[in-house]
Amino acid sequence: MFLQFLWFGMVAASLLWGVLTGKAAQALPALLAGTGRAIALSMELAAGYLFFCGMMNIVNKLRIYAWLEKRLRPLFSLLLGPIEDEETSKAVTMNVAANLLGLGNAATPYGIKAAARLHSSGHLHALYMLLILNATGLQLLPTTVIALRIAAGSQASNAILLPTLAATAASTVVGAGLGLLCQRRKGAACYD
Amino acid sequence: MIDLLWPLLLLTVLAAGILRRLPVYDLFVEGAKEGLRVTVAILPNLAAMLCAITLMDAVGLTAQLSSLCRPLLSLLGLPGEAATLVAVRPLSGSAALSVLETLLEQYGPDSRIGLTASTIMGSGETIFYTVCVYMSTTGDKRTGYAIPCALAGMLAGLLVCGLFFR
Repeated sequence: MFLQFLWFGMVAASLLWGVLTGKAAQALPALLAGTGRAIALSMELAAGYLFFCGMMNIVNKLRIYAWLEKRLRPLFSLLLGPIEDEETSKAVTMNVAANLLGLGNAATPYGIKAAARLHSSGHLHALYMLLILNATGLQLLPTTVIALRIAAGSQASNAILLPTLAATAASTVVGAGLGLLCQRRKGAACYD
Repeated sequence: MIDLLWPLLLLTVLAAGILRRLPVYDLFVEGAKEGLRVTVAILPNLAAMLCAITLMDAVGLTAQLSSLCRPLLSLLGLPGEAATLVAVRPLSGSAALSVLETLLEQYGPDSRIGLTASTIMGSGETIFYTVCVYMSTTGDKRTGYAIPCALAGMLAGLLVCGLFFR
């Protein structure tokens, strides 16, 4: 829905601005050039997607999930509060474990399932925390960005690894921390 | 040092796969198929977003927006050119990828702008889209404090990006 507004806003504002600043002639060539560039960009992305999805499919079968899940559990009961239902709890941990490993496509179905179950059982704080964890980005390795940097001819494609990890950690800690504070302040009202 | 990461990581995965007698070749091919599906699926989205972003650049709106946001972004230690990326990052993954690619091409991936943009892209998430997708089956539009907290988290992430590439 908001994509509709974002896209309309960008195109309409640019067209208006172009007309007002006497660059009307550039509009259509730019639109077509941009659309064409999507092919080039998807070629660059394809290299990263095919390679990393291929490798991740091997990682997937190494049962790192089960290992990660065990280690993440105590952290989850701290952040989300007690979740009695085993299946819900499993969906939450699988969602976060898959996100950490950069398996976004595998993470989404678990996330949707976890959100639906938390919602219907009235665990609203846990639901909001799940949304915060997912919306602040948990990925340990920014594979797509690295692939794009390499495609753009970077001499130091890995230079962003540590800054990215630090920034992701900061956003998750601040987001989750605020989430916990909100729950404290609202208390039982979280289960309204 | 950090350049050892990829060879060692990939070697570990492959060796672990072989030791567990996994069909690593078949698994890779099967996974790559999924990667191809994703690439084809997002191409139309990229086309829509890249035509909008190229148009914004061509008529000078991106430059206008950058200079307008420069004072605000410099408070976070970020270059003004990151304005569009910061604005679209929480809204659309395709738009953010399109902006990132444009910035990498214009300023080079190892420039301050290129490094900052890469870090913003890699450390952020499409907050609004993610929340929409996850809430889709609940039939509930109320998301409580989830979005404000996630946005505050994003702000903290941007501050850290700014600290690294002054």
